[in-house]
Amino acid sequence: MLSLSSVTKRYGDVTALDRLSVNVPDDSYVSLLGASGSGKTTLLRVIAGFEEPDGGKVIYDGHRLDGVAPHRRGIGFVFQNFALFPHLSVADNVAFGLRYREEEPVTDPSELKARVADAIRLVGLEGLEARKVTAISGGQRQRVALARTLVTEPRFVLLDEPLGALDANLRERMCDELRAIRERLKVTFLHVTGSETEALLMGDVVAVLSAGSIAQVGPASSLFALPKSADVARHLNAYNVLSGRVVKGGFEGAGARFALPGKQAASDGAPIEVALRFDRISVRPAGATAADPAGEAAIRARFIASEFTGASVLSFFRLEDGTLIQVVAHLSGPAPQAFTKDELYELSFNPQDVIPFIERAA
Amino acid sequence: MMEIAGEQIRSAAPAMGEDNGVSPAERRDRQERRTALMLISPGVLWMTLFMVLPMIMVVYVSFWTQTTFTVEPKLTTDSWVRFLTSSTYLASTWTTVRIWGIVLLSTLLIGYPVALFIGLMVRNQTLQTALLVICVIPFWTSFLIRVIAWRPMLGTEGAINMILMKLGIIDTPLTSLLFSEFAVLIGMTQIYCVFMVGPITFMLSRIEPSIIEAARDLGAGFGRIFFKIILPLSLPGVIVGAIFVSVMVLGEFATAASLSGRKVNLLGNIIVSQVGSLKWAFASVAGVILTVIIAVVITALLRVVNLRKEM
Repeated sequence: MLSLSSVTKRYGDVTALDRLSVNVPDDSYVSLLGASGSGKTTLLRVIAGFEEPDGGKVIYDGHRLDGVAPHRRGIGFVFQNFALFPHLSVADNVAFGLRYREEEPVTDPSELKARVADAIRLVGLEGLEARKVTAISGGQRQRVALARTLVTEPRFVLLDEPLGALDANLRERMCDELRAIRERLKVTFLHVTGSETEALLMGDVVAVLSAGSIAQVGPASSLFALPKSADVARHLNAYNVLSGRVVKGGFEGAGARFALPGKQAASDGAPIEVALRFDRISVRPAGATAADPAGEAAIRARFIASEFTGASVLSFFRLEDGTLIQVVAHLSGPAPQAFTKDELYELSFNPQDVIPFIERAA
Repeated sequence: MMEIAGEQIRSAAPAMGEDNGVSPAERRDRQERRTALMLISPGVLWMTLFMVLPMIMVVYVSFWTQTTFTVEPKLTTDSWVRFLTSSTYLASTWTTVRIWGIVLLSTLLIGYPVALFIGLMVRNQTLQTALLVICVIPFWTSFLIRVIAWRPMLGTEGAINMILMKLGIIDTPLTSLLFSEFAVLIGMTQIYCVFMVGPITFMLSRIEPSIIEAARDLGAGFGRIFFKIILPLSLPGVIVGAIFVSVMVLGEFATAASLSGRKVNLLGNIIVSQVGSLKWAFASVAGVILTVIIAVVITALLRVVNLRKEM
């Protein structure tokens, strides 16, 4: 198990990692979700040893890793830009670690050949062994980078936005393959990404990195269903976040007022943030005082624009106080309504679906 | 539909240009060939007039008949025989090659670490440029002053001897510092080192830092990374630097003339002195031999790396 405790890393006045603590279990696929600038890459570089932390500890199976030179840590790193050796062939790139590593290099040519061939077969690059890495496609380079790392049999592999440089089709295929490869090798993958869909799809466990520390860790489905803070909710790109105040155990703000689910311990007037999923909102024209289903809450908002994304339509509304609200309508349901720009609409939802975050704002 | 469209295109074509039956692709090819010819002709003209013709002339003159004060266009191999049978001239050819080899090696040994520092350690581009400019500062003075400035450094009463005496390391001044082959080697290394540093720095600064990190992550120590990654990737720079240094050192005469006290005679010195005494035919022989040596060296260096693929 890899555990980081209170790891801090500063660059001048900027604190990239702020007393970050996290445990990464063995034999698992962990995805680390973070916006750009949240310290994702710094975290990986600290684990790999390219940077040393200013404070805190990095411990792997009871051994301190910080302070150990990167080439003695036994941790694999797959770079975002692949970082292949441009003057070597595919096979020589893959063989590099085994051949030239300081500890226990593989000197027997036949063993070297067999292991390189295995790694190349693992990532499906048979037939390209003699090619220069400058003469293969982006997806193939990604595979070389992966094979080059995996052939050295690290128990822990760091993947820095490994799919970022690939086009959408290829990305989906690589996702499946990465998971399959990991399951076959029984190693730990720590996959860093800025895409919430990728993080949720890939990770057995998802960790959300925000402002230099881990905001939440958990299985993908529970993390998505129940974000612990407004920050995590924002990262998931599936929640509208409203801010307001607690009034009589309910929420008031942004031109809305509704009861909150469960009992709220917060006193009146305490600031509060609530998250409301994009797909839990229905829209109807304002003023049409249709029968309000019991317990429904509603906010008035002006329609701005819609985006057609294939299987669903994403609509943008603006509240009176300027907050942007997104609504998702799935096209599998009844035909979506056509909205008129700058018209007022009523956005209604069940207050039981709202997730309140009092402790964070308090 | 297709028929009609074809008809229209055919009827439109003659109206657009007078050259019937020429496809647009062909027309563009011709245009590009014309442009290429225009771009290359000044260079070709210049090189023909001032390099190819003079070189043919030098080869021709090397077979002329030389008397004490005149040279006549009567063909003979006398000058060639004299050069190739004289131990003095063969020795100076060997000296030229030997000094070239030593200077090439010393500029590489001194220049490479400097380039390594500027190109790889310094990742700030402004600082990189500033450091390279510092390397070029000696070139703000004239070539001769740079060479002669070594005299007060290396002389019997020069700075180095004074310091060594003051420190008590030596009792009597070292006389072999100045007016010796050593002085020529020092002078040349200092002058030509920067031509090695520049191209190597350029190649090193193009190496992605993540490539070196990847090699470390795969378990390689510094030595392996240097010999298997950094050196091969910077080799084109080494070759370009070596070509610069070779061309300049092989044709050198001024450094040897002013720092060796006439103890070191390079082919360049022979050409200068023969031209000085109006021995044109003999100077031409030395010139042809020097040109052949330079051509061989450059060809050999270019064999090491395919520069066209790297640039």
